[in-house]
Amino acid sequence: MALQADLSLIRLLQLASPALPVGAFSYSQGLEAAVEAGLVHDAASAQRWIADVLAYSVARTEAPALLRLTESWQSADPTGVAERNALFLATREAAELRAETVQMGYSLRRLLASLGVFDPLAVAQLDALDEPAFPTVFAFAVSQWRIEARPALLAYLWSWLENQVMAALKAVPLGQTDGQRMLLVLGDTLPAMVDDAAAMEEDRIGSFAPGLALACSRHETQYSRLFRS
Amino acid sequence: MDLAETVLPAGWKAHLELEFERRGQRSVLASRRHEGPLVVQKSLHPEGEGICHVLVLHPPGGIAGGDHLCVLARCATQSHSVLATPGAGKWYRSSGAWARQDIRFELAADANLEWLPQETILFDGALADLRSEVRLAPGARYLGWDILCFGRSGSGERMRSGHCRLHTRVEIGGKPVFVESGDLAGGAAQFEAAAVLGGHSVCGTMLAVAPACDKALVKACREHGPERGQGAVTLLPGVLVARYLGDSSEAAKRYFTRLRRILRPAIMACEASDLRIWST
Repeated sequence: MALQADLSLIRLLQLASPALPVGAFSYSQGLEAAVEAGLVHDAASAQRWIADVLAYSVARTEAPALLRLTESWQSADPTGVAERNALFLATREAAELRAETVQMGYSLRRLLASLGVFDPLAVAQLDALDEPAFPTVFAFAVSQWRIEARPALLAYLWSWLENQVMAALKAVPLGQTDGQRMLLVLGDTLPAMVDDAAAMEEDRIGSFAPGLALACSRHETQYSRLFRS
Repeated sequence: MDLAETVLPAGWKAHLELEFERRGQRSVLASRRHEGPLVVQKSLHPEGEGICHVLVLHPPGGIAGGDHLCVLARCATQSHSVLATPGAGKWYRSSGAWARQDIRFELAADANLEWLPQETILFDGALADLRSEVRLAPGARYLGWDILCFGRSGSGERMRSGHCRLHTRVEIGGKPVFVESGDLAGGAAQFEAAAVLGGHSVCGTMLAVAPACDKALVKACREHGPERGQGAVTLLPGVLVARYLGDSSEAAKRYFTRLRRILRPAIMACEASDLRIWST
């Protein structure tokens, strides 16, 4: 039992690691556009922006999606997976945010298939999906490795947060200590988001973040950019 | 004077159901059913027989706590209809009961529907649950916008109390392609958060749903911007989304009207022409 729990934790750390080769580092999810627009210009404004995108977009779309997708994979319900995948894609606020999750989902699916450690029947279900989003494929690995849904979501949100803070260090730019301080403060907000995601009614899933949507839409034509979103 | 909910008997239910059809060269309002204070005027054909215009009226003029408005339009194949409202929708302060609006459009293959309402104004203290759902068969085309004012911005009012819930869902062939859901308590941090409203009081979303929505159309739309506030356009599969964020519902309407002149001919194969109601 203890060994199984230890292995689940190790697999989860592997999935949530910035070393996972899915290209997450190349996306800023609107942060770079927010810097360009002057909305983010120092550590305090970067922390506010990241906290808001986390609370008003990620926590209301990716978080409930990951929990429900994990459930669908666990109960071997490919129809449920396909529906939740489509719903998640429909909540993407702009072209680059949608392209990002589709690319990362594609990369993770290829990676998982090449590892060759999963049940071939389950892999066939994953392959049958049209445009699997990143949380969809992440949830697949979570269910295959028998990781519990709650720590899986905490780790998913953590890796999102870490990636945003790393993007802020490059785009603003900020120092490493600023970044770690930000991770300490924003990390505290994650457990409550998991509770909210679990309790969220089905027709409340989705974000209302016009400022983020505008920033991401404008990033599509931003002249000078380091990031793909 | 504050317009309190006592202006109306609390809890009015209003239901309007419309069906549009194509008969020969003519798009017609084939049937209408209404209960309560939500009605349509006689349908008009100011652009010729092919396009049927209908004004949706809510004679009480405002929505109070406990009211429930429901508009359902079904558009049969090859019909082209334009729905508009003559005045802003005003959602009054409530002393406890929520008011709700459900808008649902169902479009058969090859149907065209345009939804061009005036702005929705949420008074400080309003309790508003706004839901809209557009269901398109593959090959149907939809062009619509919604403009939300948080507080009567003209008089500097902000939404410091009350609560607003928003839910928009667009489906093509039963598959969701655009979903937005918001939950804003009066005075909440979202009003100031740059990722949400950024201190602005007016937010507008225009959607063009059609197979013809492509990058070239996005590029054409990007030639224009609102004269005040910010605008931006993006493309999701089959859905072009234009957004406005600022402090002027008039600027939002003018921005969307300008985009409609580009989008309408491109996706609905008809002429660009502004609604006469806008020029009055």
